[in-house]
Amino acid sequence: MTKILLGNIDKPDQASITKYRERGGYKALEKALAMEQTALIDEVKASGLRGRGGAGFPTGMKWSFVPRNTNKPTYLLCNADESEPGTFKDRILMERDPHMLIEGMAIACYALNCHLSYVYIRGEYEFVANTQQKALDEAYEAKILGPSVMGKDFALDIFVHLGQGAYICGEETSLIESLEGNRGYPRIKPPFPATHGFLASPTVVNNVETLAALPWIVQNGAAAYAAIGTEKSKGTKLFSVSGHVAKPGVYEVDLGYPLLDFINNEAGGVANGRKLKAVIPGGSSVPVMTAAECEGVLLDYESLLKAGSMLGSGGMIVLDETTSMPETLSVIADFYAHESCGQCTPCREGTGWAAKILKNIIAGEGKRSDVDLLLKIADMMEGKTICPLADADVMPIRSFVTKFRSEFEDLCSN
Amino acid sequence: MPKLTLNGQEIEAKAGQTIIQAAEDHGVEIPHYCYHPDLPIDGNCRMCLVDVEKMPKLTPACTTLVNEGMVVRSENERVKQAVRGVLEFLLINHPVDCPVCDQAGECRLQDYYMVYGLHTSEIPLGMKVRKRKVIDLGPMVVLDQERCVLCSRCIRFFDHVTETGEMQFFGRGDHVAIGTFEDRPLDNPYSGNVVDICPVGALTSRDFRFKCRVWFLHATDSICGGCSTGCAVRIDHRDGAIFRMIPRRNPEVNRSWLCDEGRLSFHELNKTERISRPLIKGRDGVQAPVTWEEAVRSIDARLKEIREANGAGSILGFASPSATNEALFLFKRYLGDQLGATQFDFRVDSEDKNVLEEEDQILRHFDKHPNSTGAIKLGLMSRELGGIDGAIEAARAGQIKAGVVIYFPPLVRRPCDEEVEGRVFELIDVLEYSVVLAAHKSEWQTAASVVLPVTPWSEEEGTYTNFEGRVQFAGKAIDAGGDALAVWEAFAMLLHASGAEAPWMSAEDVFATLTEHVPAYREVSLDQTRLPGVIVG
Repeated sequence: MTKILLGNIDKPDQASITKYRERGGYKALEKALAMEQTALIDEVKASGLRGRGGAGFPTGMKWSFVPRNTNKPTYLLCNADESEPGTFKDRILMERDPHMLIEGMAIACYALNCHLSYVYIRGEYEFVANTQQKALDEAYEAKILGPSVMGKDFALDIFVHLGQGAYICGEETSLIESLEGNRGYPRIKPPFPATHGFLASPTVVNNVETLAALPWIVQNGAAAYAAIGTEKSKGTKLFSVSGHVAKPGVYEVDLGYPLLDFINNEAGGVANGRKLKAVIPGGSSVPVMTAAECEGVLLDYESLLKAGSMLGSGGMIVLDETTSMPETLSVIADFYAHESCGQCTPCREGTGWAAKILKNIIAGEGKRSDVDLLLKIADMMEGKTICPLADADVMPIRSFVTKFRSEFEDLCSN
Repeated sequence: MPKLTLNGQEIEAKAGQTIIQAAEDHGVEIPHYCYHPDLPIDGNCRMCLVDVEKMPKLTPACTTLVNEGMVVRSENERVKQAVRGVLEFLLINHPVDCPVCDQAGECRLQDYYMVYGLHTSEIPLGMKVRKRKVIDLGPMVVLDQERCVLCSRCIRFFDHVTETGEMQFFGRGDHVAIGTFEDRPLDNPYSGNVVDICPVGALTSRDFRFKCRVWFLHATDSICGGCSTGCAVRIDHRDGAIFRMIPRRNPEVNRSWLCDEGRLSFHELNKTERISRPLIKGRDGVQAPVTWEEAVRSIDARLKEIREANGAGSILGFASPSATNEALFLFKRYLGDQLGATQFDFRVDSEDKNVLEEEDQILRHFDKHPNSTGAIKLGLMSRELGGIDGAIEAARAGQIKAGVVIYFPPLVRRPCDEEVEGRVFELIDVLEYSVVLAAHKSEWQTAASVVLPVTPWSEEEGTYTNFEGRVQFAGKAIDAGGDALAVWEAFAMLLHASGAEAPWMSAEDVFATLTEHVPAYREVSLDQTRLPGVIVG
């Protein structure tokens, strides 16, 4: 399998600009700067690259929504607020190969005619931010960033902005609010960030992994990227696998790779010779899949959707036969209750209520009717809020409770 | 003008309107907490979710713009179920302490529960999120965080109306609470408004709370008497006492707001003793109570005597810019048209100069009288006298012998008021014959030849003309105490005693005559003086 993102990840000196350049770094940017901006956008469109933050929206199309000649600056914001439980793929890119992200951002900025860009890094990733900042300093020194990008008449500044530890700020409009210095509250859409984003100007928010793929796409051509993967899910994808596997970590595979092969080969199989019970394939917010449901499923956007779950961010959590599903769900529900921004009623009240009911159930103080109450709360929350955080709680609640109902009922009285 | 279908009915909306606004215009109330017509849209409460054809999810009516051909349902089962769900969420952590909550009776949680809820709570008491209660937020507001539905109306009010930003959300998830930084008091002059816009019992009025259950109160539409802005208000009263004053929405004047001074101005009416009966000073120099008939006969006779002896120019009419147009009209009709008096004024301060002067950019004007413009338009401003100082001088010089003075102290007090009242006393003191029409007892009135008890603002109906010339009707909220009559009635009696026709049975009748005789008010109907009022030339 092609290593587009993790090709140099194991080289300990990859974070230095000298080594990065020795290994072919910043050649793609040079190539991009010689292209027409629109041609560059077309190239990204043709590659089939889709947003790797979780939603999987085609990147080139997102860029083409940005109006040109608006008399307002255009901003590119790199979403590095990686906070979804089970997801730790962006971190490794910034920690080990920070110049790849800078090069990708510079390519995107050039395509979008953007001269000011931010990397919004989650507050807990302070050490990652330091590495990224060091790389930025090097890039400025090498005149890759600054008033004249690689000697061309194109100015670009990139800043690192450290969040304050709120999951919600990974939602793009909250990220924008937070960056503007406001409380991290998702905005009502429309208007969309493409026209009214950061400082009410046209804005693109892209995930780290998405941007990091750009140098390879530019260097090797859209066709080479599109040749990898399935018909609709092109290229490679990082999966951060955790839980009951022998070799947890971050792996890059072609989209369309079989899920069980991934667990058994890349992740070293279920640890300690135990049996697989369930998989959360794309971060804690996607529906859980039973071991049976995993049979024959491929790791791409369409296949996972068809199997009743989602690819999400690629934060895979593998659960073995010893796992208590109510306890697992309780941990997940606690997370969403803690991270709900509190703006919309259904999410604010629903996430907290569900988390408390689950706590009661695992403490053996629940009633059988609580199981249905959880499903009712899920219905009351779903699709009724400004951002998808409530839905991110609904999906695990509904899938855990319906697929493993007896485990919940067994803990309840009467 | 986009047309849309709302619950099967085709309606026409204004361009740029949201669904909730278009529905409201057509009498369909979509339940809501956070939406407020005079605040920016926030879309957080999710109560106004409606079903729009071709939209996969329910959408908030407050954030969704109306489109041509849109098909909206606000009452189908899907919507009702969603609204019921949101309401249930709002109530799970609510203390449901209605029996001791001041908002009971006008609480949107109670109202919507009766329409959409009627469910049994599924949350055990011990599971509820506890928050802080009885937080002192300054002179106007008390905060109970547990009752809050977090609609952010108060936050948006301070962010966008006063632009002082005192309130904010604290915390996250179901622990979010509203408050001020370190519980600092709300000390801006409009803080009381957040009590009105709070749809629940989270923000209650320090002044009104626990005074009366709202269902015992009677409401009268009025105009604030606190300054020349003329904010539309509702007076809530019971058994002849005013309990509170809250704004009525007038988009042309005060939107949904009222300043704190105006809000509390009615208390001024109860601070001093009322004059209960007409008084005439006898030969011994002591004022003795008489009947109204005796009083008006005596006044008319005495004024006529003075006119015979010194000419009509020796009679002064000194009006109050706090009296109604109807009062001032008959005042002038009696003194001017009937007795021939030519000297009129009303300025004890410099109301004509500061009637237009704004005290701030929101509502308040420096002129603390509700009807200075009315007095000017009725011709009660004398260039010759130039206000009370000129009148005192003319009286000292013997040009003016008699004076009829209406005096209402401003309901919003200023440090200069005492000095102003001193000047009125000076005038009374130098006049040979003086008739004072007032509501409250005051030391200086003992110098007057006749004192007539009249009703102040809130006890008589009539119209006031605000700073910009907007004529607005104010209803009568409570009955006058003692023998007090409306000012217009006193002058109607004087006109009758004087032999003139006085056919008016009500302030409305007087207004009708006024519109016939005063060019500025020509063709204005009383209906036009109701919301939003009418501007006269």
